[in-house]
Amino acid sequence: MSLLQVENVSVQFFGLKALSDVTFDVEPGQVRAVIGPNGAGKSTLFNVITGYVRPNEGKVVYDGQSVVGLPRHVVAGRGMRRTFQNGGVFSELTVLENVLTGLNAVTASSTLGIVLRLPGAGAAERRAVDEAMSLLETMGLAGLANNVVGDLSSGQQRLVEITRAMAARARLLLLDEPAVGLSSSERDRLMNVLRDLAKDGVAVLLVEHVIDLVMAVSDRIVVLNYGEVIAEGTPEEIRSHEAVLEAYLGHG
Amino acid sequence: MSDLQATLPAGPVRRPASAKRWLVRLAIAVLLLLPPVFSNDYVQYVVNLIVVYALVAVGFNVVLGYLGQLAFANAAFFGIGAYTCGISMVHLGLPFWAALVPTGIVSLAAGALVGLPALRLKGYYLAIVTLVLGELMRWSYIHGDVLTAGSSGLGIPPATAAGFTFGTEDEKYYLFLLVAAVMIWATNNIIRSRIGRSWVAIRENELATAALGMSPAVGKVTAFAWSGFVVGIAGALFAILIGRIAPESFNLHQLLLHFAIVMIGGLGSILGSILGAIVLTAAPEVLRNFPGMEEIVFSLLLIGVLLFMPRGLQGVLVGWFPRLRERLYRE
Repeated sequence: MSLLQVENVSVQFFGLKALSDVTFDVEPGQVRAVIGPNGAGKSTLFNVITGYVRPNEGKVVYDGQSVVGLPRHVVAGRGMRRTFQNGGVFSELTVLENVLTGLNAVTASSTLGIVLRLPGAGAAERRAVDEAMSLLETMGLAGLANNVVGDLSSGQQRLVEITRAMAARARLLLLDEPAVGLSSSERDRLMNVLRDLAKDGVAVLLVEHVIDLVMAVSDRIVVLNYGEVIAEGTPEEIRSHEAVLEAYLGHG
Repeated sequence: MSDLQATLPAGPVRRPASAKRWLVRLAIAVLLLLPPVFSNDYVQYVVNLIVVYALVAVGFNVVLGYLGQLAFANAAFFGIGAYTCGISMVHLGLPFWAALVPTGIVSLAAGALVGLPALRLKGYYLAIVTLVLGELMRWSYIHGDVLTAGSSGLGIPPATAAGFTFGTEDEKYYLFLLVAAVMIWATNNIIRSRIGRSWVAIRENELATAALGMSPAVGKVTAFAWSGFVVGIAGALFAILIGRIAPESFNLHQLLLHFAIVMIGGLGSILGSILGAIVLTAAPEVLRNFPGMEEIVFSLLLIGVLLFMPRGLQGVLVGWFPRLRERLYRE
């Protein structure tokens, strides 16, 4: 059973077709990449899935339920988490505070408990901190926990945003060009994290330009061109696909 | 005590730090209890006004600094709190402590209501709508004279509790200190929790906030509600302090003073709000010794601080003592 089903999705902006009849799915434990030239509709597709853009036609089914038209935070609360292409970190907060906001929706401290600093609320807060710290540990960011995110390199900021998104046990993680600005060692770390997440049963949907990374971590790839799916398959199939070579990868 | 502390080695490293912290807290508490010993009635009145304005600024800062919304309903919250308290005492005959209950409920609700336009409006548009709301309230105080006694002002009886009357400035001080301390403590608790983090997240990036499963709408309404609550309670203290509230007490000038206190103290800082209240309440009183120069010096002071201390007085203080930097969480 797939966790995410995108069925016949079409989007038009002022008569311009951004996506036409896009269909694919993502299964738990699968890393699925969406590639294609600039303007192919990758980000629009992301925004449709996460509820930031409403499709003109088609369905987005997450965990057996249609999510078109639902408030974004409701869908996010069900475990669909995304990162943003141009960076969605809270730059004035520390690394730890950023990851804690990712855990907010599952931090079970009552309002009254918070106001009066009751022991139960304090314990819930401290559990969240423990969880955030162990996540930062696995991402190799623990040493930066108290640094203000705005002071970090763009690669580190990316990793913070990914950590924040996968906190609160994300079931579907949508990463919009996560490798931009990453050093090669950070890129390796990202690949390992994605593999580990998939091993834990998390579904990952990846929009990415760094083809090496896509080929290395993806189970299946969707290729978009002018808003249409021109190919779908495993990395090997995509690598030798004639239309893909024509439109995007180039004959090498 | 807690599972976190149970897992940490109870080494000797943590204990002295926490003992020292308690010592600092004790010293601050003692210092706070002292002013009435040294002050005369006039000085104590000014100190009481500082306590009121510190609470006002902490409440305003929730919306302005933490939630990051340019909303100017603060004088309205202040007035709503003052009038609800006054009306409850005068017309319902409630003692002050009991009048705090309707005051709290009404100002919490007023805050939540003002939060609703903030769901649709941002920036200047929200500023102008909330500004108009403040003026509308002032109009209501003038014309609702059955309850508010209109322009002539509503006389407020002194606060009493269990047969004791808080009549003198010294006695009012301890009452105000208690109320303000509880309110500021609670505000600080909220800010350093998931709720406060959601407020700051909204300030930083609303789209990303929603993508993390937090409702920006809920965050905004709760922040406005709490802000209204805190400022409303400060309004009740204000009513007791000056003994007669009139619509003119809650005009644009009042709002400007609140805004200046928050800005000069430092956005998004409780310590800053307290510092701002001290400086901006005390400065006019000190400047009274230089008749004719009052407004000029006061304005220059404002301009100077805004130009040369971008993070307010709190920012300067943090520059000297980095440990004072306020964080939502410190590992």
